[in-house]
Amino acid sequence: MAVEIAGADIVRAAAMLGAGIAMGIGAFGPGLGEGIAAAKAGEAIGRNPREAGLLTRTMLVGQAVAESTGIYSLVVALLLIFVV
Amino acid sequence: MENIGKVSHWVFHLGDTRLVVNSTTLVMTWVVIGLVLAFALIATRDRAMVPGPWQQLAEFLVQTFRELVSEALGEAYEERYFPLICALFIFLLFCNWVGVFPGMEEPTKDINTTLGLGIMGFFIAHGTAIKAKGLKQYLKEYFEPMFFLMPLNVVGEVAKVISISFRLFGNVLGGSIIIIVVTHLVYGLLLPPFLYGFFALFVGTVQAFVFTMLTLVYISVQIR
Repeated sequence: MAVEIAGADIVRAAAMLGAGIAMGIGAFGPGLGEGIAAAKAGEAIGRNPREAGLLTRTMLVGQAVAESTGIYSLVVALLLIFVV
Repeated sequence: MENIGKVSHWVFHLGDTRLVVNSTTLVMTWVVIGLVLAFALIATRDRAMVPGPWQQLAEFLVQTFRELVSEALGEAYEERYFPLICALFIFLLFCNWVGVFPGMEEPTKDINTTLGLGIMGFFIAHGTAIKAKGLKQYLKEYFEPMFFLMPLNVVGEVAKVISISFRLFGNVLGGSIIIIVVTHLVYGLLLPPFLYGFFALFVGTVQAFVFTMLTLVYISVQIR
């Protein structure tokens, strides 16, 4: 007995697949960006340990800003899962 | 697990128009405002030269943000914008931290809160720019490098509001969903406090600080 696959199931499956791809590829950019920010911050602290506090704060802000594209892909993925 | 996508609504019928309100966000926003007021009252109740713990925390916040604002905006604007920036940070901090208590949800988990704060920051920054530089100079700056770049500049300004709002919204919502899903997977054993520690406390604090700093920087960019 062939299983009936309605159009809605295909849409639902595509949405889930899209959410996975969105989040997967979306995680690539922030990882790279935050890694570079942390590396540069590490070097800067190595050169000037007295400014470690300010450098750490600036690094955290920079990483949070670099993370925003990943968060946008997360929002898209959540929309695909819960809204479509 | 099943209530992730659900948002409870209050529906008011004003004549023929329907007014739909997210009840959780509204109630939680008032709870957070109460918490912030309570913190303010406790911190400034018996001010002494030897500060108590609450007063010390409040003094630390005030001094840090007064210094940040005076660095970014200069002396002239510091007095006018410092209370806004400091209040914004404390409100966002308490908003992101309130998720730790059982049964409470963060108001910033709802796009309305963050987009509302983002639009508020947008109008403050551009209102200051118009007042500081005059309407003609303000409009001329949209044609700054080349005249045909005007649409790009306008879109850039609007994109700032969208990016700052969705950053906070995405972080808090994503964090809370991850907490719900993982807690469900481990049946609530051992892990939830550490998850709350990371997502609600650390990420929440960093995102509150980033939102406030960017609002401050957007204002200072407009003033120069």
